[in-house]
Amino acid sequence: MRLYAICVYLFLYIPIGVIALFSFNAGRHASQLQGFSTKWYGKALSNPFVMDALETSLVVAFCSALFASVFGTMAAVALQGIRGPVRATFDLLIYVAVMIPGIVIGIATLIGLVTVFDQLNPLIAAIWPDGFKPPKLRMGIGSLIAAHTMFLMALVVIIVRARLAGMDRALTEASSDLYATPMGTFRQVTLPMIFPAILAGFLLSFTFSFDDFIIAFFVAGSETTLPIYVFSSIRRGVTPEINAIGTMVMGVSLLLLITAQLLLQRGGKKSR
Amino acid sequence: MENGGYVGEVEPAGKKPIAELRGVTKRFGEVLAASDLNLSIAEGEFLSFLGPSGCGKTTALRMLAGFETPTEGDVLLDGKVVNTLEAHHRPVNMVFQQYALFPHMTVAQNIGYGLRQIRPRIPKAEISERVSKALDVVQLAGFEDRKIWEMSGGQQQRVALARAIINEPKLLLLDEPMAALDRKLRKEMQIELQDLQRQLGITFVLVTHDQEEALSMSDRICIMRDGRIVQIGSPQELYDRPNSRYVADFVGTSNFFNGKLQRSTDGLSEVLLDNGMRIQGMPGDGLVDGQEVCVSVRPEQMKLRRQGKGLEVEVHNRIFLGEHTEYLVTHETLGDFLVLAPRQADLSEGAFAVRDKALVSWETSAALILDRN
Repeated sequence: MRLYAICVYLFLYIPIGVIALFSFNAGRHASQLQGFSTKWYGKALSNPFVMDALETSLVVAFCSALFASVFGTMAAVALQGIRGPVRATFDLLIYVAVMIPGIVIGIATLIGLVTVFDQLNPLIAAIWPDGFKPPKLRMGIGSLIAAHTMFLMALVVIIVRARLAGMDRALTEASSDLYATPMGTFRQVTLPMIFPAILAGFLLSFTFSFDDFIIAFFVAGSETTLPIYVFSSIRRGVTPEINAIGTMVMGVSLLLLITAQLLLQRGGKKSR
Repeated sequence: MENGGYVGEVEPAGKKPIAELRGVTKRFGEVLAASDLNLSIAEGEFLSFLGPSGCGKTTALRMLAGFETPTEGDVLLDGKVVNTLEAHHRPVNMVFQQYALFPHMTVAQNIGYGLRQIRPRIPKAEISERVSKALDVVQLAGFEDRKIWEMSGGQQQRVALARAIINEPKLLLLDEPMAALDRKLRKEMQIELQDLQRQLGITFVLVTHDQEEALSMSDRICIMRDGRIVQIGSPQELYDRPNSRYVADFVGTSNFFNGKLQRSTDGLSEVLLDNGMRIQGMPGDGLVDGQEVCVSVRPEQMKLRRQGKGLEVEVHNRIFLGEHTEYLVTHETLGDFLVLAPRQADLSEGAFAVRDKALVSWETSAALILDRN
């Protein structure tokens, strides 16, 4: 049993270790080690295509994580206030949204957005003042952010809901007993207490959005995110530069995930 | 009340009511949590709701606080119907069972919370001055900047108390505030709470399942059962003149003998006990001839003697309690019951030993004939 577990871990982590190891390879071949060097990191960071993709990815990740955190928290708080079958239905739908494969979300969002754009574009053109070129809605950074916000919201709802459920109901009652309006209670009691969970949700969302390839591939239009860039350059062969990018992405993701985990643990303890 | 009998003084004599329940009923779906509660709470009094868990006492309190809306009837504060007035608009504050202190705030921030909500804003300096005063009152001066989790259970309770009284509420509601404290601390807090109530003149409404707590602190006690008020009265009234077996059993301890009410003459009745014996006693209100009743005699009203008249019993067990000795005695047909003999009696008559034969007697006025429920 123990041997089996070790094998599973080796199987999981050896490829990751190899990527990290080869990113420091001095040689240009991905298959043989030729001494230690960080030159591929320098190369990756000075590549304008990489930097462009990175910027797109960061903007998308930040915006979608922000929107998901705000809307997800709102939804979680609202859900906490209702009971019975309505709540059960919404809970189920949220879990489904998290479990649904990325490819389904990607296709669904693509079709949905294209249909909406096709309907809206003529409308906008019709009401736009003459002489100006009407704006045209199309795939791009906006659709990326929208698609990511949608599926990340479900994640935030789950995280924040767990925290809200662990919160003593007497605290909000005490607040209203002490003359605080519902809004005042939310601002002074609920929000500070669920804030670690919201922040954790934000960081997780950021990571997921930053790492996402499948959904981005469908809705990115002409934009290139970092995972899309990596995918397209791999078709020209795995270079140590790709390894370097992969290692950096992994490092940042790990850092964010660990921070999120710590926030959730510490926040959980404090509320007890 | 199943027998529609006398519940007690629903209204305290001669005082202005600060809060009233008028025919208040609360249903949670199918569950009847409170049923036709009628009660008037006088300004400055200390009233307790006493009963086992699930008897509706907490529901009654929550309707006064504004966390629940009555299904039927009216809740009045200061003469105004407030059925649907939200908690944050009511001049009422509550001390919660687990205190419900805000864990992300300091002691001072917790206590000043209520004052900070008031618009137009109260100046910061005034708030901190009043917080210090409130801390003085609960004997926690200098604890302003402590974190909640740095405080012991007893200290947290004082903070919760200070957080409520700083707002000078018309009504201070206490939901089993001592439940989380150990026995010794509970005693101390009971005395402190009473002092505080006299000192501040705020009306206190306490919810508890601890009869000792209710008896020692309250001006009036409202005994509840299955969502109904069984009896309202001062601790002495409830102890001396319980209106049912339930109250006699809940307030203090008593011995009960089941039987049928035979014949009522003025002020005195005879009960035919299930074992064929006849006992005379004081009938309660609303009883009719032939009704199934029980006769209640408090252990301290019974006398244990070696000679004379009385029920023949055998001493089964004795517990020396210092001022009193508690005898568990057995009668052939009536079963076991308790007799509490003062130290003085033990000294003059000589203490009884286990297996000793003895005679038990009591004054007719000590035997209360009560509804069996």
